[in-house]
Amino acid sequence: MLMKMLSGKIALVTGGRGGIGRAIVNRFLKEGATVYAADLTPEGSLDSHKENGSIFIKLDVTSEKEVSTALSKIEKEEGKLDILVNAAGIEIEKTIEQTSLEEWNLSFAVNVTGTFLTSKHSLPLMRKAAKNKVSTSIINFGSYDGFIADPGLAAYCATKGAVHALTRAMACDHGPEGIRVNAVCPGYVDTPMLQSFFNGEGSGGQGQNIEKLKEAVRDVHVIKTYGTPDDIANLVNWLASDEARYASGQLWILDGGLSAQVQQMKL
Amino acid sequence: MDSRWRVVCSSSTDEIIMLPKTAIITGGTRGIGRGIVDRFHKDGWNIVTCSRGQRPKDLNEKIIWEQADVGKINDTDRVIEKTISTFGVIDLLVNNAGIQVEKNIMDSTDDDWDLVIGANCRGVFNMCRASLEHMTKTGGSIVNISSISANASDPSMALYNASKSFVNGLTRSIATDHGPTIRCNAVCPGWVMTEMADVVFELASNPDVAKKDALSRHPVGRFGKPEDIANMVAWLASDESGYVSGQLFTVDGGLTAASPINPGLF
Repeated sequence: MLMKMLSGKIALVTGGRGGIGRAIVNRFLKEGATVYAADLTPEGSLDSHKENGSIFIKLDVTSEKEVSTALSKIEKEEGKLDILVNAAGIEIEKTIEQTSLEEWNLSFAVNVTGTFLTSKHSLPLMRKAAKNKVSTSIINFGSYDGFIADPGLAAYCATKGAVHALTRAMACDHGPEGIRVNAVCPGYVDTPMLQSFFNGEGSGGQGQNIEKLKEAVRDVHVIKTYGTPDDIANLVNWLASDEARYASGQLWILDGGLSAQVQQMKL
Repeated sequence: MDSRWRVVCSSSTDEIIMLPKTAIITGGTRGIGRGIVDRFHKDGWNIVTCSRGQRPKDLNEKIIWEQADVGKINDTDRVIEKTISTFGVIDLLVNNAGIQVEKNIMDSTDDDWDLVIGANCRGVFNMCRASLEHMTKTGGSIVNISSISANASDPSMALYNASKSFVNGLTRSIATDHGPTIRCNAVCPGWVMTEMADVVFELASNPDVAKKDALSRHPVGRFGKPEDIANMVAWLASDESGYVSGQLFTVDGGLTAASPINPGLF
């Protein structure tokens, strides 16, 4: 029988009902963890939700009060937290000129401040878990876009660069306490966010061109396809597990080889 | 003070005199190397350059040229001896000579290995080791011409890509081991087009589409020119960059800052 990788572990996944977050929650459940799925609504960014055994917490990660309440609930019910995944995120598809201050601030509030607040309020519970010499793990969501820019995603690119730096800072500060911190940096993954990008004004893919755009995006990848949420969950699961007990402070690019090649001109 | 001058005290008259600095620039016959040679010549440096072929007819007569294969130790030793016997010092070494073979690893022959690794790795090693014998006594700067393909691969350029990663690693090692006397940096050019560019586009199935596609991948809206790379080398050779060492500088018109997924092209 295969060993379950996360037996006995308590996990919190923000954005846990969204595209990638939901795949992580399902994987964690399969690996024997108790999983709290935090999101704005039970459906998250998808149309519906079939009960999967996770415990839903209604959470806006930009509200310190709501974050604090969520962690109090986990403290009361479990007394510790082993794994935190900061998967909640939004993407404004605009250049800086088109981006309003409100949109800019919202991008940072969700992607950066949300990661900060949830991590900050999780630390006391993670220290409790780490006391038994078990390594605990925070997994942030960076992005391929934190390294190189997609057109018309200025605020998003900036927030992900901030998450990368925050990840290293947290890893340095809390490593001695037995808390590992890493960031997963996905490339193109088939999620509601990607579909929104395809449909967006900046993509040039509206109307009849969208299938052509999707095909072109697949084609530019070294492995000729974009990723699935399960692909990302595979890595998050490993980083959450004790197999990764020496892994900390790193940015893990998972993009089907996209950033390994210099972009190719069509000659 | 203009950093092209070496200030020395004359032993006979005790006068302060200013002599032009001396640079060795390998592979200076054409392309990027020629651009660097012309720039430093214009700036008044003493220049020694070399290449495997013949001396270019239009090379200024003041520029010293040696026929040399940088992959061969006897050739590189000769280039350095010539420099020292002529100018007495090496202030700057620019390792520009390089060879590209367009093959994946399975198609690469032993001869391809000797050619690419010989010039791009052994050549840089030969030139650095022998030059440092002199440069560590007088101080100086080494600039290696690497490539954006050291960090992200161009397809079917396996040995070339790997050789440029070697250059990046050696650049950091020299900076680490031989500072503060020596500064060592690398420049990573992107697509630098010479007269070859139009030939390449003529070969495309649709030259206009190909050119538009290629240009739109460059945020600055044009291809690189040898002068663009020479500008960076000139700065890295100057006192302006006195605190800069061990780093890799990408000069690619923004190519590698942008995602290859450029929806405007589809």
